[in-house]
Amino acid sequence: MSSAGIGSAGIDKVRDWILGRHPERTELAADVDLIESRLVDSLAFVELVYTIEDAAGVEIDFDNIDIEDFQTLATIEKAFFA
Amino acid sequence: MTQPLIGVDVVPLSRVRELTAPGAGPLLGRYLSAAELIASRTPDGAADEAGIAGRLAAKEAVFKLFGAVRRPVPWRGIEVLRGPGGRPGVRLSGKGAELARHAGLGPIDVSISHDAGFAIAVAAASTSHDRTASAPPNGAASGRS
Repeated sequence: MSSAGIGSAGIDKVRDWILGRHPERTELAADVDLIESRLVDSLAFVELVYTIEDAAGVEIDFDNIDIEDFQTLATIEKAFFA
Repeated sequence: MTQPLIGVDVVPLSRVRELTAPGAGPLLGRYLSAAELIASRTPDGAADEAGIAGRLAAKEAVFKLFGAVRRPVPWRGIEVLRGPGGRPGVRLSGKGAELARHAGLGPIDVSISHDAGFAIAVAAASTSHDRTASAPPNGAASGRS
């Protein structure tokens, strides 16, 4: 899946936040593993959750997170912006 | 028979500045407990960047002892507070305590140092579990640092 496959404003905010942390990148495909590719480390993961909460208008229970929901932009969109 | 374990992590102070910058919102409170927030102030009330970086590094170092793969760091469930004699001490609760129990950990010790814009921390403990059969490829969950 490419980044063109994701179009909601919420997920765009999440993508922009990640790209803003990695100025060496200009695009981020929806199926890139954010953790394995080191785009989001454990410190930044909290900020990612915060960014998703802000974009989706939801509160995420950090203690009961399913890490799979945060693996890629596609899984984030499915879990929080579908 | 017990097996020794160590965890290590480094945090640049620049990351702490991002978390404490105006506009960052209440982010720091997602990493630090109320007691830690109080302990992370200098006498004049400013954010103790080196202290916070050391505390965050120590939390991640402790988390690596858990061997918990693809789980987020339970930041507030691993408290790093000043112990007897000024040495840092670890207090576990919630998910932190649960993961430590699951890993079969004994008492945890940590050591923290700061220099040249970085804080580094090492955590050590022993476990009664055999890690050789199920050792994760890396210790970090959400994960790498």
